[in-house]
Amino acid sequence: MSGEQTGQDEQQPGQLERVTDIGGGIGSDSGGIGSGTNRLLFTTLLREEWRLHTQLFGGWRFASFPLLIVLLAAAATVALLETGTPPSTIVLGLHALALGFGLYSGTAGFAGSNMLENVFGRLSLVLSSASTLPLSRRRLLGMFLVKDALFYAVVFILPMATAALPIGGRSATTPTELVALWFSLSLVFAAGMTATVALIAVRTRGVPTWTIALALVSAAAGTWALDGSAAIESVRTLAVPLSGSIPAAVGLAGGTALVAAGSLALYDPTYGRPTRTASDRFSQLRAAGDRLPFADDPLVVKTLLDLSRSAGGVWKPFVSAGILLALVAALVGVVREITGIEPAPGIFFGGVLGLAAFTTYNWLTQFDSLEFYLTYPVAIDDVFRAKRAAFVLVGTPAVAVPYLAAVVRFEAALVDAAVGAILLAGYGLYYYGLTVYIAGFDPNEFLFDSVRFGTFTVGVAVAIVPTLVAGFVVVPPTPTLAVGLAVAGIGFGALGVVLSGRAGPKWAERYRDE
Amino acid sequence: MGILRVDELRQSYGAVRAVDGMSFDVERGELFGFLGPNGAGKTTTIRSLTGQIVPDGGTISVLGTDPTTTPLETRRRVGILPEQASPPSFLTPREYLEFVGDVRDLDETTVAAGIERWAERLGFASKLETLHTDLSRGQQQKVMIAQAFIHEPDVVLIDEPLANLDPLVQEQVKQFLTAYAADDNAVFVSTHNIDVAADICTRVGIVADGRIVTERSLANETGDTLLETFLEHVDDADARDMPALERTEIEA
Repeated sequence: MSGEQTGQDEQQPGQLERVTDIGGGIGSDSGGIGSGTNRLLFTTLLREEWRLHTQLFGGWRFASFPLLIVLLAAAATVALLETGTPPSTIVLGLHALALGFGLYSGTAGFAGSNMLENVFGRLSLVLSSASTLPLSRRRLLGMFLVKDALFYAVVFILPMATAALPIGGRSATTPTELVALWFSLSLVFAAGMTATVALIAVRTRGVPTWTIALALVSAAAGTWALDGSAAIESVRTLAVPLSGSIPAAVGLAGGTALVAAGSLALYDPTYGRPTRTASDRFSQLRAAGDRLPFADDPLVVKTLLDLSRSAGGVWKPFVSAGILLALVAALVGVVREITGIEPAPGIFFGGVLGLAAFTTYNWLTQFDSLEFYLTYPVAIDDVFRAKRAAFVLVGTPAVAVPYLAAVVRFEAALVDAAVGAILLAGYGLYYYGLTVYIAGFDPNEFLFDSVRFGTFTVGVAVAIVPTLVAGFVVVPPTPTLAVGLAVAGIGFGALGVVLSGRAGPKWAERYRDE
Repeated sequence: MGILRVDELRQSYGAVRAVDGMSFDVERGELFGFLGPNGAGKTTTIRSLTGQIVPDGGTISVLGTDPTTTPLETRRRVGILPEQASPPSFLTPREYLEFVGDVRDLDETTVAAGIERWAERLGFASKLETLHTDLSRGQQQKVMIAQAFIHEPDVVLIDEPLANLDPLVQEQVKQFLTAYAADDNAVFVSTHNIDVAADICTRVGIVADGRIVTERSLANETGDTLLETFLEHVDDADARDMPALERTEIEA
């Protein structure tokens, strides 16, 4: 993050000077700030966002990122259409992706908080200027989130919407279809983002995290238990505005705006967690080194303590895997409703849930950096080895629980469930190795690097696409297919181990030769 | 021969020569000040000395080890306090220092005693069980100072040692550094603060444009002040980054 900091420092004077000019004549934020100030704030934040991305991800190379999304969206759509996937399913999948991305992007609501600044430094100088300018943190955060929503709606969602081109074919109505899909996806993206911001706002009012988590799990379990076509229809109507009625879309838009405004009103910018103390868990865990796996390694113990004491605790990877499970389960349910086809649940869930490896690794590195270890007699290779051990310790139960729930809920055949379990383990290791090898210690940031993201996407597609096709076409799996997929799972798992093993030397060399 | 020796060190970042023919020696018993404006090449030199980067050229010897080929051995034998580094957010000072002791292969008794001693000396004993994320920057800096010395290394490399510390602790740290160096160790202090260098160092190397432009002993100093020596050798534009000069301008 040091480079980022430097770059922001270079931007600071001009930006602050301009905002100060306007703020100077205002007196108070709640007073007569006009639309001119909002406009200036918005454009300044937008410029800062663009510079942040272009600086972090290879200058103007970032500009090619939307084109990469266009290519991926178009190629995936063509491939899915060719394999007989109904267009409605593809549209549903795009909306599921937009919703997931929105939920994730909503974590921008943490920006400017002491917690985030302690970990990452100041992500946005303009946002951090609430303490020096006559502008409230709530207003700045509101503008920041609006900027984020519009920025990503253009940079990500619009390219995703070009999937409409292969679906609809070229005709006079193509531009209209493209715009309609973009609006629909953007609406779902904004709804997801708002949901996360609302949860953050609730948290700033002192509601314990576990209470929020319990409420979410209860809601998900209730919906899961219903499983009626009415419930699925409701979800589809809301999740895919394009396919629903105009009143439903307007209702979603209005509800999103209402919740967003309410969240900002609820958000307490002064919220600060009470000072936390902790007993000496490090020495306790190290003392249990002969009984607990990997506890004899201080690097693993540090990683586990980082994870367990950060917001959300050790449950974060479980929640991430749970969200993935819910999205896939909803997708399976809707596809079944539309086409009458139900995939082999073991193979399907095993193949997809392995993707949770990415989020789990992200959580394990979120509060860490390689630079930290460079001042100790610790080999970078050992740091990566420790991360892999922590990944196995945390990632295994995080995906095993939702996988077992899925195979029980969807009544998978024994062979299907067994093959799915092998795929889950093998693909999980493979996705992990791929992530670590390509992204090193920055799995979050590489998503915006065209080259790395493209490589990662191709690497994932090579494993997952044939598996999902097989899971849809041959239900239940034939013995030959089962053996073939099991071998693929083991092979990809081995490849993942090799990749993660090579990541250490690769990144150590890169850091030392920089 | 110095226990810390650098000869013709070179390191470039693209077209920028961050370090360009840096050479110096530091002996046991010295508190060596590496004084220069921002961007003079100080941090790059420290990163080379501790094996964090492999320089483009030149030779380095730290306690007889070569950090370019055996970085772990070098880091095992020295203490390092990087600039603006902070301890892990979700560990307590006690846990972090235990972690450092662990990766440095210190026995538990030594570490436990070191934690108590350092916490007492720098005044963070009451914060030993508080997560770092909830400590002030000054308290975090104290913990970082403790981790650099907990294994009592012969050589300690410090980048801006007094950052974020209150005046009382600054004074304590200055006295400790002076005593530590005098006890047959070497302390290498990188700073852009002339007052700090003049206050505690036994010898100062003034850095500009990636190399040492002059060295002077500060023991039994007579003649020009360090500030005057500095102004003699550093370009006016670069020198304006220095806190002491800002103060001089205001006073004038």
